[in-house]
Amino acid sequence: MSNHSFPRPEEPTPRQAREAVAGRCDACGESALMRYPLLSEGGWYLVVKCQSCLHSQQREKWQRLGHVTLLTDALAC
Amino acid sequence: MMAVDVGGTFTDVVAVSDGTIRTAKVSTDVQQVDRGVVAGAAELGVADATVFNHASTHGLNAIITRSLPKIGFLTTAGHRDIPDIGRSWRPVAALTDPSWRRSFGDAARPLVPRYLRRGITERIRADGEIHVALDEAQAREQLGVLRRCNVQGVAICLLNAYTNDVHERRLRELVGEELGDLPVSLSSEISPLAKEYARASTTLVDVFMKIIYDDYTHRLDAGLRGLGFAGQLNFADCTANLIPAADAMEAPFRVVFAGPAAGTVGSAHFGRLIGEPNLLCADIGGTSCDISLVTHGEPFVNTTFELEHDLIVNALSNDISSIGAGGGSLVAVSPSGDITVGPGSAGADPGPACYGRGGQQPTMTDICLLAGLLDPHGFAGGKMVLDQQLATRAFERLDTPLTFEHRVRYAWDIGLNNIAEGIFNIAIKQGIDPRDYALVAFGAAGPLLLPALADLVNVKRVVVPPHPGLFSALGLLSADQAYGLSQSAYTLLEPGNADAVAALFESMEARLRRRLGTQTDVAIERAFDGQLVGQTWETPFVPVPAGPITAATIEQMVENFHQAYAERNGNRFANIPVQGVTYRLRAVVPTDKVAYAELPERSGAPLRPVGTSVLRFVADAEELAQVYARDDLCAGDEIRGPAIVREALSTTYITQNQIARVGRFGEIGIERIR
Amino acid sequence: MSTQPNRDGSLESTRPARLRDWTEAQFAETYHCDRFTAMVLSNRLRYTVDHMSTGLMYSAFSPIIRDWYDFAITISGPPDMDYPMPAVSSSLLVFLGTMEDAVRNVVEEYGVDRLKPGDVLLCNDPYRGGNHVNDALFIRPVFHDGRPVAFVNARAHQLDMGGTVPGGFSGTKANVYENGLVLGPMLLFEHDKPVRSTFSLVFDNTRFAALLQPDFMTMAEQLKLGERLLLESIERYGEAAYRGTVRYCCDAAAEAMSDALEKLPDGDYQVEESLDADGAGDDEPLVVRATIIKRGGRVEVDCSGSSRQARTCINAGPLDTKTAVGVAFKLLLDRDTPFSSGAYRPIDIVVPPGTVLSAMPPDGAIMLYWEVTQALLAGMLRELGKVLGDDAFGGDYGCVAVHNAHGRHADGRPWSNIGLVGGEHGPWGADRHHDGESYTVPYIVNGLDPATESMELESPVLLLRKEYVADTGGAGFNRGGAAVLKDASWLTDAEHYSIPIRFKHGTGNGACGGATGRAGACWLFEPEDPALRAADGLLPVRDDVYGASTPIAGVLDPVSKAPDADGEYFYFARQAVWRTRAGAVSRYVTNGGGGWGDPLARPVERVLADVRDGYVSIAGARANYGVVVEGDPDLDPEGLRIDAAATRALRGG
Repeated sequence: MSNHSFPRPEEPTPRQAREAVAGRCDACGESALMRYPLLSEGGWYLVVKCQSCLHSQQREKWQRLGHVTLLTDALAC
Repeated sequence: MMAVDVGGTFTDVVAVSDGTIRTAKVSTDVQQVDRGVVAGAAELGVADATVFNHASTHGLNAIITRSLPKIGFLTTAGHRDIPDIGRSWRPVAALTDPSWRRSFGDAARPLVPRYLRRGITERIRADGEIHVALDEAQAREQLGVLRRCNVQGVAICLLNAYTNDVHERRLRELVGEELGDLPVSLSSEISPLAKEYARASTTLVDVFMKIIYDDYTHRLDAGLRGLGFAGQLNFADCTANLIPAADAMEAPFRVVFAGPAAGTVGSAHFGRLIGEPNLLCADIGGTSCDISLVTHGEPFVNTTFELEHDLIVNALSNDISSIGAGGGSLVAVSPSGDITVGPGSAGADPGPACYGRGGQQPTMTDICLLAGLLDPHGFAGGKMVLDQQLATRAFERLDTPLTFEHRVRYAWDIGLNNIAEGIFNIAIKQGIDPRDYALVAFGAAGPLLLPALADLVNVKRVVVPPHPGLFSALGLLSADQAYGLSQSAYTLLEPGNADAVAALFESMEARLRRRLGTQTDVAIERAFDGQLVGQTWETPFVPVPAGPITAATIEQMVENFHQAYAERNGNRFANIPVQGVTYRLRAVVPTDKVAYAELPERSGAPLRPVGTSVLRFVADAEELAQVYARDDLCAGDEIRGPAIVREALSTTYITQNQIARVGRFGEIGIERIR
Repeated sequence: MSTQPNRDGSLESTRPARLRDWTEAQFAETYHCDRFTAMVLSNRLRYTVDHMSTGLMYSAFSPIIRDWYDFAITISGPPDMDYPMPAVSSSLLVFLGTMEDAVRNVVEEYGVDRLKPGDVLLCNDPYRGGNHVNDALFIRPVFHDGRPVAFVNARAHQLDMGGTVPGGFSGTKANVYENGLVLGPMLLFEHDKPVRSTFSLVFDNTRFAALLQPDFMTMAEQLKLGERLLLESIERYGEAAYRGTVRYCCDAAAEAMSDALEKLPDGDYQVEESLDADGAGDDEPLVVRATIIKRGGRVEVDCSGSSRQARTCINAGPLDTKTAVGVAFKLLLDRDTPFSSGAYRPIDIVVPPGTVLSAMPPDGAIMLYWEVTQALLAGMLRELGKVLGDDAFGGDYGCVAVHNAHGRHADGRPWSNIGLVGGEHGPWGADRHHDGESYTVPYIVNGLDPATESMELESPVLLLRKEYVADTGGAGFNRGGAAVLKDASWLTDAEHYSIPIRFKHGTGNGACGGATGRAGACWLFEPEDPALRAADGLLPVRDDVYGASTPIAGVLDPVSKAPDADGEYFYFARQAVWRTRAGAVSRYVTNGGGGWGDPLARPVERVLADVRDGYVSIAGARANYGVVVEGDPDLDPEGLRIDAAATRALRGG
């Protein structure tokens, strides 16, 4: 998905894809968990969140610059 | 010599004769201010006074409360909204407040409603050339509207009039023809400086002041003469310099608010006496802590003054920074449980809870009462009794699980911290090191609060002058008579422009000498405000050498500018050309000032306290403080903290880590015990 | 018990819900100091940032720093706390959502372990740190006991950062190469001495380097002051107390924002705001969208469905979007809490790559980012305002339509006039307390309005008009601010660049039953234009003067070229540059501010005053307020009278 050189999307109104995740929400019990990246306090995270109550089942740090990757990230410095 | 400082609530009068200082404090007569002044003068006796120096806030108060006469505003067609626009910036406190409105805007409380702001068909360019001639027929039509609306005065401010006043002068003649003999102010006459909004607001304030002060000055003069006064009546300007009343009334915007400036000037004068040329002057009253600076004996002066946020007058004024921290600062609890102090204030009405006027929230004054610092029966010269119960209940009412002791203690510390940080911020702004400065503490609450924060600011020492509660009034007897003129003319400071600058100074000097009249033996100082090309604000009062203005003078002016800029801003941009913006003349007539009598040294019985007071909340543990009467002090006396020194209109608190030494002139110098 | 979310998503349920109710023991256990110390230290952090700001403002050269407050000063906590931001200066809101991440991204990329005392890092890349290339970020690590415990940071707008347009303010740059010099994380100072190679890189590639250099030195000085003040505090109270306070500042802000969100009814809110076009063509829609999903004390804002990134540099990056989202909630719900990075704890922002709110390099150029983010902000204020009852407020003028003009004096010297005579200043909407103010700037910025007289000295232009237009403020119980009109007469030949990006519709939406403000427009008049000739230079404000004009932008009657909501849209970049001859006039009218409340309920005396003051015409009073006014507002303002019977009839008894 990401590239240090990202072309203008073909899609006129891009949407963030969310991946369905099996299981029930720890907080509200609904079966509505999805995985996707987001931005919040602390930067970018890849989360598994309940789409019903917004509880975060899982939250791990994602790529530092979000969708942007740097060519130099691959350099061994 | 006598001076009077009229405040919103109280009028302070001081009389100095033969080295004796007598004071009186009367209630301000808000219905007819001059009556209160004459009453105060009568109390002390004015017949022998050679001068009567006057400062009052009633003009300022009329503007702030919008109790104003109806006036018209004439400007260039297309620009009638200048007084609503201001400079359009929002204060810090308003950045996240979409409901904030500028106080003088049409959406809030304008000084002149839009329909009385009329555009005149005329246009002058930045170089002074006439682009569109004055259309007198159109002007008469606009004046007809103002006549039908019965305005009591007219302010005239045309674009670029500071470069060419011909249209403004003609308009004044037309006003006379169409509206009769009304007060009129021309921006090109009273403040020929660039930047149209500041000039417009200055001109508006000038007309208001003419209307407010005209009758006032006559009645005041008559009242004083009626008491046998035969001396000179002076009004203090915003630098607390004195202007003879008649001269002041030519451009009365200059005297709209002298109060805090008088404190600075008083400090500078007193500082010279006691050998302290570098002073941080802090006047803590009920609502605010006003801080100003004196460096090498000279106050720090600005070229403008704000009556409200962004409501500007182009009056030379001592730079006073106001921190929202005073005796009346409100103590509250933030949503996350933090104690906050200020910036809101209980003001004079209802005032602190302990005043018993209905104030429900606790304030710094309530803390000082509960702490044992204030004498409930000795407040305001005994004219008020403070109620400890009310203060206690106000703190009990705070919505926090903190213990009562913690509430009071934390509020005390945070209140002091806020003042200390405010003072430190000013030190940064002016580029000074507080360790080189003595902190002069005055105002009702200055000597009470400032010694306790001396360590937080790291000043050399704290100085409590004599009569700290009335020190501003004494400041009115600590300044010179001064005459000034200024004129804007943007000129690149390069050798080729020497003649233009010379001509400007010559014409200003001729006008100034006419005003000085018979006072011929007066030195006239020259200065200019300049800016680096590319900037939008000026560095003021750059010295101009005496003598004819030649190419060499211009070079010196540029060097002086870079020097002044570096001192004021901490940086030097020697490669960037300098533009002269405003040229200034000042004539100072040396004037008699208050002479503070020397206090005798102690001989005989040692200094005895008049009592003790248990101090709570202001230190880690309860302490017993010795209480002294200021009248008992002699030069050379030393007092170790914790201690309190009481006098009629003030209380000084010396903390347990401090020692106070009484100086030759009765000043109390407070330092940390080493 | 508490259900406030923690950063790891776990739920804290062992302590009271509210910070204010914690016991001293509980407080000390979490924050390693007593509550009083935390109060004093958090004040101290904010004052430290204040002192650095004061120092910067008064010693910088650039008027953009002094008059436009275009800077931010922050303190960041240590790497092992993940760089929280406990204190930020009260300068401009536009930096609130970018600074926290910018510092983390720059330091991590550079390498924490490489840092030493006396280092200052530099970076200006919008994709790493938000904002635009002019906003250079300086970061100084503060060491204690051999480790970095804090960073003091200053970000300030520099006059020029290279690229194809002097100063950078253009809406037509198409990619990063045209946009300006990008500086990744690099050492600017080492051992407190300038790193020559970095300074050379900057100065060899930017204009006005002689002016940039002293301001670089000034910014570095303020960071040293900040380091000193911070270390004094750490020495005095101890490192543990300092770290605890950093955490406390963020936790307090998180709690305050979560409480604030609770005030909003739960639900899904849809935001949609359109902009007119980018600088490449008027052939594509340009829309910002957001779905605001609010549950309890949490919210997720999903910007999916926004237009893909524009072809020219009007894009924003995700950190700018983060700013707009945070500011929206702050303005609506939590105005008083001091800002820190913790305010974002209960806020999640979803933004797919390559939208106008999350532009990607190299073709998603980011320069005028605030135009799209303030559209998002305005849309959020509007939608959420609908459920806040009377606390909602009307929309503002929506777009800082910067006008740039360039030319040469008679003696050949070039002149520039940037951002002074266009639509840069305009009205806010009304609220329950007041009518809207007419002459202001957007919420996320601040600034001193330059004097006309100063401007006329610098460039050969005459500002003929700077005044308000009647009937443009949205009607309401409280009236929206009036549109600002500026007429500028250009005394030499000139080239003009303009990017007025929101004239297709009024942006000053009404609130609580108020009406939307009128849409604005802008035109050029050649020197021989008959309307100019007839008026002897002072063009009237009437619909019949535009016939021979050249519209730059706006929805206008195709024949009369007067503003007409049913007219045709004229696109601002039909020409890349507009050239005029000496004596030409440009006219800008901004959008009007939105009204608040029912216009038919506005007291008749206030409508009378509006007519008397020229904010509303007699026709407008009748049509929009149902008030019938008689008389001559211009020549007999105090003689105006209300026809009470006719008014009653119109207002329905």
